[in-house]
Amino acid sequence: MTDRKMYMDVLRLAGETIMENGGETYRVEETVDRMGRAFGLEEVQSFAVPSGLIISFRLNGDSESSVLRVRRGSTDLERVDQVNQISRLVEAGKMDCARALEQLREIRSRKTGERQYPTILAAGLSAAGFCLMFGGAWMDWIVSAGTVAVQQLFFLWMRRKNLQSMMTVVLGAFLATLIPQALQPVLGLNQEAVIAGALMPLLPGLAMTNAVQDALRGDMISGVSHFTQAIMTAGLVAGGALTATTLLNVMGGVL
Amino acid sequence: MHILKMAVASFLGTFGFAILLHAPRRAWIPASLVGTVAFVLYDLLLSMGITSPAAIFLGALFGSLIGYLCAWRMQMISTVFMSLSIVSFVPGLGLYRSMELLARSETGGGARQGAEAMVAIAMIVLGLGMGAFLVRLVKTQVSAWKHR
Repeated sequence: MTDRKMYMDVLRLAGETIMENGGETYRVEETVDRMGRAFGLEEVQSFAVPSGLIISFRLNGDSESSVLRVRRGSTDLERVDQVNQISRLVEAGKMDCARALEQLREIRSRKTGERQYPTILAAGLSAAGFCLMFGGAWMDWIVSAGTVAVQQLFFLWMRRKNLQSMMTVVLGAFLATLIPQALQPVLGLNQEAVIAGALMPLLPGLAMTNAVQDALRGDMISGVSHFTQAIMTAGLVAGGALTATTLLNVMGGVL
Repeated sequence: MHILKMAVASFLGTFGFAILLHAPRRAWIPASLVGTVAFVLYDLLLSMGITSPAAIFLGALFGSLIGYLCAWRMQMISTVFMSLSIVSFVPGLGLYRSMELLARSETGGGARQGAEAMVAIAMIVLGLGMGAFLVRLVKTQVSAWKHR
């Protein structure tokens, strides 16, 4: 592999990994620029938007450029942090290009799915915590945690079948609302606390954070895009909850 | 007792989220503590009679400032701490109440709850934004002072 190709591969992999795993676009551009300069490349330019990345640089008079379509995967902040650590080491001159490439490939080869079951437990724990915050009692915590576990298993199934889309959020919110409402007559739950706790893992905290970070650095395209994503996700969660509530109200009227 | 209950609830909620977002393992506890402290501050401000939007703004601002400090001390990306510091403020309950009222055709109440949830989101964004701005301001000043 020529040096030029190897440098481009490192910059592409670094940018792509940050973006796919929930990092901000300003971080992608900063990382690419910083690593490029550390490698001694000239005229390093990068342009990132939430769905793509363009990189160009010059080396010994020859220019190299690359256009990349990036599709967001599931959030993995550990990967984003690991790429950031690599970029720091490269910048400090403690890691060369070949080693950086090897490390980036290693990070990308680790499947996020390796930690699926702890993730389901974590989502349940989170829902139970929020249920307590909203005034739930112990039975409410259990139902809230159980509902989220079912919801996460459903997401896992959707991922395995390659059926992930915006509808996943709607269906997740639908389940989070439907299950507690269906159990309410039997268990006498604090329905509001259980459902609100179960909806929390679906709400777009990270998208909001990214919108702020990007907008503050003057990247309005990415800022607005992330903010729209956050508002849309909140809308989809609300839509799923509304559908389940309406359905149960209608069924209650019929029965 | 109420504060303790809120602190435990916020810690559990944020800790679960840290794992859910696949945050680095060494950040799980510190980030959850940042989220807890920010939420406890919000709850204290509410009990002092400060309005909910103002308390959310101050809580998110405080959370983002200590989040940045932790990220800097632990040499980690700020996203981890920033996103986890605001988890407890995200208005899940308001959003659900709004939808429930709308489903019962109580449009007025539903719209009011929905608007309150949107104000809460706006306050979170403002708090985070102000925190990020203040940190950049300090960084710029320190950098200019060092190069003087």
